[in-house]
Amino acid sequence: MRDTDSRLIETLVGQLESVRPIKWRHGALLTLAALGATIFVVVLLMGRRDQLLIGEFSALFVITQGLLLVLGASAASAVVAMANPQVGASHDGPKWALATVALLPLTAIVTAVAQGAGPAYPAMEDLHCAAAGCAFSGLIAVTLFLWLRRGAPVLLEKAGFNLGVAAGSLGVFAHGLSCPLETMTHLGIWHVLPVVVTALLGRLVVPRLLRW
Amino acid sequence: MKADEQTLCRLMALAQKGDRQAYAALLAECMIWLRRYFRNRIAPAQLDDLVQEVLLSLHRKLASYDPAQPFLPWLAAIARYRWIDQLRRGYRLREVPVDDHGHSADDVEQEVASARISLERLFEQLPEGQARAIRLVKIDGQSVSEAARLCGQSESLVKVNIHRGLRRLSALVEKAG
Repeated sequence: MRDTDSRLIETLVGQLESVRPIKWRHGALLTLAALGATIFVVVLLMGRRDQLLIGEFSALFVITQGLLLVLGASAASAVVAMANPQVGASHDGPKWALATVALLPLTAIVTAVAQGAGPAYPAMEDLHCAAAGCAFSGLIAVTLFLWLRRGAPVLLEKAGFNLGVAAGSLGVFAHGLSCPLETMTHLGIWHVLPVVVTALLGRLVVPRLLRW
Repeated sequence: MKADEQTLCRLMALAQKGDRQAYAALLAECMIWLRRYFRNRIAPAQLDDLVQEVLLSLHRKLASYDPAQPFLPWLAAIARYRWIDQLRRGYRLREVPVDDHGHSADDVEQEVASARISLERLFEQLPEGQARAIRLVKIDGQSVSEAARLCGQSESLVKVNIHRGLRRLSALVEKAG
């Protein structure tokens, strides 16, 4: 072994401190806690939707919330796993969940066209829901970002995109619990738009902040 | 000594608990492994720097190894990440002989290929034009104009191939063969 190699090893060994290995389940629990905190803040700020407690909600509401939750869970799971790099790992789960959620805006557009509806301008409630969905994605985004910073992600663009998708869909899911509007157009377009926005933001902004 | 996967896993788990002796042994083994891993996949003059950078990354990201997972695919992912970084940087040719630590090329190919984590497998995922442009300019140290002449392509196409090839490699860091 060369002198420089020995010196490097000596230096690194001298700096060694015990570390707590990063494990997937810790990241998953942390994300779950962030989702719980987000739901708490939503209820605190936006109020509780009482119909949920007495079972007054449409099937469409349940489907939309369910799809967003599955998408958020699969994307968050992939992001948490990306902190532990591994040749041979696959993070393709969110791709399929994303394709399924894409059916919501598609259905909204197709049904609107089939019913002969003309171009409609968004109502104040629509814009409010889209903005709130983006805002409530913040805590989950920060949690996942800090998790990735602790780890060693090697697919930065994919990590950023998945982080945006996870934060957006879980943020909209949390906000959805307080939203009383249940039309196809509202749920299909304005509850999905924030996911698109946060995914793009994640893909564009996060990789440069994650580089190590 | 050539440590096997199980030994490396054990050494790493001990190192994460602060065992300095195990860590020194692990780093020495990783250094040997990395030299073989990168051989012929990086300009000889850059090999030492790259190996040292990977070891520094390993040190900084020690916690990112999960002892429940195999060790070499983890090390290979970090090695690939740093390798692509190095390829992105400029190339300055200096003729420095490669120290092969007494391992034959066959040993390396067999061991690394069997682990499905080799750099060659990564290259195989690229279109031929992109792989060739990266090999000629970033590994063999040819100028862009020389590479363009050898490939029978324009200089701008060679540059585009390198740019696209490196982008694609970045997206394939965790891809197994």
